[in-house]
Amino acid sequence: MGLAGVDMVIVPATTGQMGVLPGHVATIAELKPGVLSVHEGNETTKYFVSSGFVFIHANSFADIIAVEAVPLDQIDANLVQKGLVEFTQKLSSATTDLEKAEAQIGIDVHSALNSALTG
Amino acid sequence: MAMAALRREGGRFAPLIYPRPITAFRSSPLPPILENEGPVGVRYISTQVVRNRMKSVKNIQKITKAMKMVAASKLRAIQTKAENSRGLWQPFTALLGDLPSADVKKNVVVTISSDKGLCGGINSTSVKISKGLHKLNSGPEKETKYVILGEKAKAQLIRDSKKDIELIITELQKNPLNYTQVSVLADEILKNVEFDALRIVFNKFHSVVSFVPTVSTVLSPEVVEKEAESGGKLGDLDSYEVEGGETKGEILQNLAEFQFSCVMFNAVLENACSEQGARMSAMDSSSRNAGDMLDRLTLTYNRTRQASITTELIEIISGASALEG
Repeated sequence: MGLAGVDMVIVPATTGQMGVLPGHVATIAELKPGVLSVHEGNETTKYFVSSGFVFIHANSFADIIAVEAVPLDQIDANLVQKGLVEFTQKLSSATTDLEKAEAQIGIDVHSALNSALTG
Repeated sequence: MAMAALRREGGRFAPLIYPRPITAFRSSPLPPILENEGPVGVRYISTQVVRNRMKSVKNIQKITKAMKMVAASKLRAIQTKAENSRGLWQPFTALLGDLPSADVKKNVVVTISSDKGLCGGINSTSVKISKGLHKLNSGPEKETKYVILGEKAKAQLIRDSKKDIELIITELQKNPLNYTQVSVLADEILKNVEFDALRIVFNKFHSVVSFVPTVSTVLSPEVVEKEAESGGKLGDLDSYEVEGGETKGEILQNLAEFQFSCVMFNAVLENACSEQGARMSAMDSSSRNAGDMLDRLTLTYNRTRQASITTELIEIISGASALEG
C-alpha cells in the first residue's frame, strides 16, 4: 500500500515475532495473525494483520503482503471477547475435522487480537 | 433499383420509398420526396413517418447519454479500488517475476470478461488473446484448458472450444467486488483445476480511453522450482531463506495460492474499470451518431414540409387563375 523508509519492523511470522532491520538477510516468511509494528525514529505504529507473507530482499527492501491489516485503535475489545467465546464453543461442538480446523483458526485469530489489545 | 441505391447510401429511408424508376436518382445524395397516392389520384405528402423516426432517434440519444453518465459514475467508484489493488501483486512480481514464456505441460487460461454488453470490443479482444494462447500452447503432451469468468466470453468460447472449458463463472459483479469473494473464487479454481501455469487474460486499465489486453502468469510451485534451477530471474529464489513452516515446498505452495488470489483480485478490478470505460466511450459515440442522424432527419423533414406547402400553394393559385382566366 505504500513505500516508506523506516528503522525497524516487527512482523508476526509463523515462527514468532521477527524483527527486520536494514541489511537483513533475504527471506520469505509466512505470517500468522498478530501484531505488526513499524518503528520510525521514536514513533511506533501498530497494525493487526490477519495473515500474509513478508518478502525481505537483499537490498534492504521488505514487502509485506497481508490479507487484512487494521490499525490497533480501530479494533473493538468487546467484539473480540465475544468472538473468542463463540469460537471456543464451536470448537467443543465441532464434529468433522473441517469444522474443528475452522473453529481453531477462529480461536487463534481472536486470541491473537486479544493479546494485541492488552499486550 | 432505387432501393438498391438507397441501401448503398445507408438505407435509412429504404422502407419509406416506393419503387420508382428514376435513373437520375443514383447520383443524388438527397432522398426523394415521399409521395403517397390518395384514393382519387390526389397526391399528398406525409411527414408523419419522418417525425416518428426523429422521435425514436431522439429517445435513443437520451438513453445512450444516460448510460454514459452511469458508466462514468461506476468507473469513478471502482477506479480507486483498482489502483489500490495494484500494490497487491507487485511484491510477487518483484520476487518471482512474470514469466509468460514458461513452457509447461498443463496450461490453464483464465479469461475475464463482462456480463453485460454494449461495452465496445474489449471482450472480443480478450477472447482473441485467449484463443491465441491456446493455439500457442498446444502440441504433443501439452494441453490448455479454459476457465471463464463472465457471460460474454462464455458465449464466444462455448461455440468452438466447448470441450476445453473447465469452469464457467458468471454474475461476478452482482455485489461490489471485494477480496473475500475473489479469494473464494480463486480457491474454487485451485481446487478443481490441475495446472502447471495459470495465465490470466484481462484488460488492464491505463486510462479512460486506453485498455490494454494483458496476460499475467502464475506458476505452480513445482514449475517455480524448475525455473529456479535453470537460472534466470528465478535463480535468485534460492538465495532467500525460507523461514518457518515445515518445508520449503509447503511455503511455496501457500505462496503460489496467495499470489493467484492477489493477481485475480487485481485482474477482476482492472477488467471492471476497463468495461466501464469502454462502455462510456461506446455510448458517447452512439449519442453522437444519433445526434448526426437527427440533424439529417430534421433537414429532410423541413424540406418535405416546405415542399408540401409549396405544392398546396401552387394548386390553389393555379386553381384560382384557372377560374379567373
